[in-house]
Amino acid sequence: MDNILELNQICKTFSKSNFTLDNLSFSLPYGAIMGFVGENGAGKTTTIGCILNTIAKDKGTVKLFGKEMQDMDTDSREKIGVVYDGDNFPTYWTAKQLSHVMSGLYRQWDSALFQKYLEEFHLPAKQKIKQYSKGMTTKLAIAAALSHHPCLLILDEATSGLDPIVRDDILDVFLEFVQEENHSILLSSHITSDLERIADYITFIHNGKFIMTASKNELVYQYAVMRCRKSQFLAVDPADILAWRKRDFQIDVLVPNGKEAERKYKGVVIDHVSIDEMMLLFVKGEKR
Amino acid sequence: MKGLLIDNFYATLSNAKIFSVIVVLLGIFVVAMDNRIPSLIIGYMLLVIIGYSLNSIASIRKESVTKWSQYKLTTPIKRANIITSYFISLCLWLVIGIVFATIGVWLSVMLHGYPFDKNTDIFMLFVVGIGISLFMGAIFFPLFFIGGEERNEVFLVISLLCGVGGVMGITTLINNFFPEGMTCVQIILGGVLILACAVIAIVLSYPITVCVFRRKEY
Repeated sequence: MDNILELNQICKTFSKSNFTLDNLSFSLPYGAIMGFVGENGAGKTTTIGCILNTIAKDKGTVKLFGKEMQDMDTDSREKIGVVYDGDNFPTYWTAKQLSHVMSGLYRQWDSALFQKYLEEFHLPAKQKIKQYSKGMTTKLAIAAALSHHPCLLILDEATSGLDPIVRDDILDVFLEFVQEENHSILLSSHITSDLERIADYITFIHNGKFIMTASKNELVYQYAVMRCRKSQFLAVDPADILAWRKRDFQIDVLVPNGKEAERKYKGVVIDHVSIDEMMLLFVKGEKR
Repeated sequence: MKGLLIDNFYATLSNAKIFSVIVVLLGIFVVAMDNRIPSLIIGYMLLVIIGYSLNSIASIRKESVTKWSQYKLTTPIKRANIITSYFISLCLWLVIGIVFATIGVWLSVMLHGYPFDKNTDIFMLFVVGIGISLFMGAIFFPLFFIGGEERNEVFLVISLLCGVGGVMGITTLINNFFPEGMTCVQIILGGVLILACAVIAIVLSYPITVCVFRRKEY
């Protein structure tokens, strides 16, 4: 399967904060939505910065559309739409002024499409952005990101702080976007319910380190949590354990194959695992 | 580039509107006043020329309040283009300042006659205004990207002082070089020398700013 985005052994160290993005590698196939999950400070924004060249990586390669993107590669950036959390654009602009600026930046800027999104999202074109609500600001950023016909959307916490109704509208737009088979989305988010709804793949990172990438189907149908007593936990083959966490009266054990664990470990309660619970196990638990 | 220039224009516009109102009111006052003592017209010319330039470079700060500075890097433009747009915008606002100053001086001369001792004095006032503006930009842009947006105000002051200091320094050198009673040609040559130094400063500042901005992380 071809990948629209490939990260290979990306390293970045911030000496002042002592944070290191440590040999991060993952890839996003064409036509897919990837949820990018990790706790605050895990390195999601740094990773996105390395992908988009807003941060200089120390080591490793990032391939977008099959090639490494340099500052000179304006053609590649023409095909990328970006949405950051918060104010993406100067708040003294109106949506109309935003369109003027963007039409001077993107060759493929589609003013009619942008206008269509403004109407669909009920965004007044002549009102200053500073008078928009947070939801409106995010919708505007999404409208802008989509209006130059990108192939790849990169969204950094774009749905955080939005109410469920606005989020639902936005997720519908994303699902519509990936109907085109060469379109993909990398969506960093804390709101795992959104990812459970739309993502095809989930990539976990923790403290700057890659943990795993799994398809959502694998997460839903294969991965599971065993609720073990201490004696049961001691009997579990370490090769079956991805991560474990001691709770009050039980030990939660994340296993990659729930059905196999069910056959292997009789009498142990085995539950499906949510992305939230997986993240907790990876972040707060012990790893194999 | 067009998009960047529009972006810079919007960033400067609201402050420029307020400044323009003041410039027009002040201009009316200056033109209405008798110009036998030319200090008002001198002040007006320098204020207008330097003011628009200062306004242009100060507006860069407005972008850093949001994620726009970061967002711009994800659009299909090169980092060098962003810097080029700042330099072009400074020059365009400088031209606007020169136009306003020219109109004010012209009207004052038309109404009240020529207020200066020498014919070269008006030329030298333009030289000083343009020279300070260019030196100021040449110092400010690299400082802004080296020191960070949060030190914008102090860099503006430093740049303005360096601009004034640069022009005064070169003027002192010229005066030392041509001791007593400079001829018109010598004064014009001195003015051209100041302008040339200011242009060289801004031309040298451009690659330095690009180099600094290429390393800038958001």
